[in-house]
Amino acid sequence: MSGVALPARRRIVLPRLGVADLAGAAIVLGMVVLILAGASLSPYSATAFNPMHSLEAPSLAFPFGTDEFGRDVFSRVLAGARPTLLLAVGAAALGVALGTVTGLTAGYRQGPVDETIMRFMDALMSFPGLILAMLVVVMLGPAPINVVAAIALVFWPRSARLVRSIVVDLAHREFIEAARSRGEGASFILFRELLPNVLPIIVVDFSLRVTSGVLLAASLAYLGIGVRPPTPAWGLMVRDGQQFIEIAPWLVVFPCLAIALASIGTVLLGERLRHRLALPGGGRAQ
Amino acid sequence: MTVMSKIEPPVLAVRDLSISYGPLQAVRGVSFSIAPGEAMGLIGESGSGKSSVAYAVMRYIKGQASGEVHVAGQDVMALSEQALGKLRGRTAAMVYQDPMSALNPAIKVGEQIAEAIRLHGRIGKALAWKRGVALLERVHLPRPAEIAHRYPHQLSGGQQQRVVIAMALACDPQLLIMDEPTTGLDVTTEAVILDLVNELRRETGVAVLFISHNMGVVAQVCDRVGVLYAGQLIEEGTTEQVLRQPRHPYTVALMRAMPAIDGPRRRLAAIPGRLPDLRSPPPGCIFTPRCAMATAECESRMPDLANSSGGGHRSRCHYRDEVALRLPPEPLVAEVQLVEARQERPRLQIIAVSKQFRARPALPFMRGPAPVRAVDDVTLDIPPGRTLAVVGESGSGKSTLARCVAGLIVPEDGAIRLENEVLDPLVQKRGRAAQQAVQFVFQNPDAALNPHWTVAEIVGRPMRLYGGQGEGKALRHRIIEQLEAVKLGERYLDLYPREMSGGEKQRVSIARAFAGRPRLVICDEPTSALDISVQAAILNELLALQRENGTSYLFISHDLGVVRHVAHEVAIMRHGRIVESGPPAAVFGDPREEYTRNLIAAIPTLERREAAPALLTA
Repeated sequence: MSGVALPARRRIVLPRLGVADLAGAAIVLGMVVLILAGASLSPYSATAFNPMHSLEAPSLAFPFGTDEFGRDVFSRVLAGARPTLLLAVGAAALGVALGTVTGLTAGYRQGPVDETIMRFMDALMSFPGLILAMLVVVMLGPAPINVVAAIALVFWPRSARLVRSIVVDLAHREFIEAARSRGEGASFILFRELLPNVLPIIVVDFSLRVTSGVLLAASLAYLGIGVRPPTPAWGLMVRDGQQFIEIAPWLVVFPCLAIALASIGTVLLGERLRHRLALPGGGRAQ
Repeated sequence: MTVMSKIEPPVLAVRDLSISYGPLQAVRGVSFSIAPGEAMGLIGESGSGKSSVAYAVMRYIKGQASGEVHVAGQDVMALSEQALGKLRGRTAAMVYQDPMSALNPAIKVGEQIAEAIRLHGRIGKALAWKRGVALLERVHLPRPAEIAHRYPHQLSGGQQQRVVIAMALACDPQLLIMDEPTTGLDVTTEAVILDLVNELRRETGVAVLFISHNMGVVAQVCDRVGVLYAGQLIEEGTTEQVLRQPRHPYTVALMRAMPAIDGPRRRLAAIPGRLPDLRSPPPGCIFTPRCAMATAECESRMPDLANSSGGGHRSRCHYRDEVALRLPPEPLVAEVQLVEARQERPRLQIIAVSKQFRARPALPFMRGPAPVRAVDDVTLDIPPGRTLAVVGESGSGKSTLARCVAGLIVPEDGAIRLENEVLDPLVQKRGRAAQQAVQFVFQNPDAALNPHWTVAEIVGRPMRLYGGQGEGKALRHRIIEQLEAVKLGERYLDLYPREMSGGEKQRVSIARAFAGRPRLVICDEPTSALDISVQAAILNELLALQRENGTSYLFISHDLGVVRHVAHEVAIMRHGRIVESGPPAAVFGDPREEYTRNLIAAIPTLERREAAPALLTA
């Protein structure tokens, strides 16, 4: 028996949580709650007019103030989480999923398959993101599912490129050769051998995509594409509120804060997940 | 051997050097000195601290160091950054293991050398370039004026290493520190570099600190040798003393683990156990847990590094004068001849296999460079339960041949035949039975295992894939059985590759290969990434598994010593062709081909060689 001794006993390493991790987790948890129950948490209706209280400054009764129709901004921000965040999460999930499958395939197969896929991705990527998304929504119509598809289409080539760049390197590693010489099929190699190795990157990518998804969804709404009033989407609220920005800045500030908070929360949580997922056995990210 | 006067102050004096990286005590109380013109070798396996010592001499270390290091009379530990800058390169220069990473890929080599010259002496660019060319000539590069204009990637590995040596010589240093300078090179290239080092020592009187894990290499260059184990210098003396009459059981164990090309064929003896935990080293002798002659005293009291009865030969062992008597003698094995096996039908036949690699042309529609014949009309066969070793230097096509047999690379020509069946050239198109029959063990255990899989998943996968070995509990039982066959146990089941040592990972790799009950296992340099003591264990394991299962091996290696220990049949490969083949006793004992003779002559043995064989132009 040589070179063999008892390996160090595996310790259960409790993740050390910093303020940033807790903040990230709290924000994302808050987002989930809002998506599920935002409208029912609101103290007032998000859509009913109340001319008695139009354009009131933040007060105890209306913590975020009211808009020109007397609607409570706080209630609208809470209720607006679902139309904004659901679009962002859905689009990020779809875009990253498509990108992962394409990236894995292109990186593993290489050669003509790779060239064909990636040149198509390049073509998609040559459109500025917002313009491409606008084009798709205008062509398909303003249903929420179309907005999701449009934003996912923007994310797809970017994720594909990222995943491919890692897989190209991994595909030459010996454990992939080992799988091939064993007679494994392509889908086993893609999803069982390669996927776990790119998963940490995908998770981080997903969190960043949710962030930019929030921004893109808000931008589309702000431009009046996709979500229609009176749906209280955050982007739409910014758009409607900007005409009163000098007399009632709270109409813009609070939806903007919500957008910023959602973005920051997803990034923080993504960072944390990256560290946790990097390598099994308490390893850290590369 | 260089004659040195004892009065001259040493070029390098290291006293009581200790280095720790956080809680890890990498080096403890190491003292030695090197006289002007002398070459001292430091031998050690991974984790011995040999590189830490080398870097400490130049004060290139990140950890906390204590003790004294004097280079040419200057106290390195106390020098200012500025004085240190002068010392590095001018008084002492370093040659690294990997020349490719020591050279800047974007600058012509002549310019890099000129830069090194100008850094330490104020001379003009043109003159510095001229001196650079002279240095390239000094290290025997052919057409130095032309080579100076090349970029590192346009040179071979041996040429690159000679450029690095030329750079190190740029300012006439008194001390040359060489950290595994030949480890990545072919034996023939290695021989040339070693000769160059010897010649430079003779002619310039430079002192050398030579770090290596290879005792043969050290024997070629060094006057004195120190053996490092777990951060301590455990033996020191002249090369002759240490390598011929070792006075420490660890040194003896290393020698017994080293496969040799000459002498009687021995059973390689692996060193049991592993390095002690250097965060809390034991109070007694650090080698006690692995020592075959340890006593209660060894456990409680640390021996001093003291002189043994022979003059100037120091050893850190309580029983330094009785090592030879106390250790059990080493077992010899009889030379096995393979006459009877010849009649059997071969298990694997490689029939006239050829593979070319075409480089892409620089621009579309242009003519590309001529294709490289990686494998050129190779015909070989392997009887059941026997090992065919294919030996060659880098670029000889041996790995390509292995991948053709495995179906990972499709050859242009020829056929692979497994018993009665001609295999499809592409492994994915072979039947399950054929896939199961041929398994692969890779060179680099770090890359061969998926880092996100546990050992149980890795070893269990072939069993699940090929089926017939049960499920659930039965499968788990089979996995444990398989792990025990390679001397690992149940406790490894849930470990990930990064939680294991290199040797353990390679055992898992072997367990995976045998999990499918293969008829042929292709071993592509299975031990070249491992320490000598671990290599011995892995080779013994492979031999035992072969005896048990009657598996045939296609064994790819560059190391003739290793091949001599495992092969029933040897084929020497060069430029894609088989130059010579036969049983090892014949090929090594009485080689017919010039190339084989040169290859054998180039292997560094404990016997000092006078000059490198003529063919070598590396």
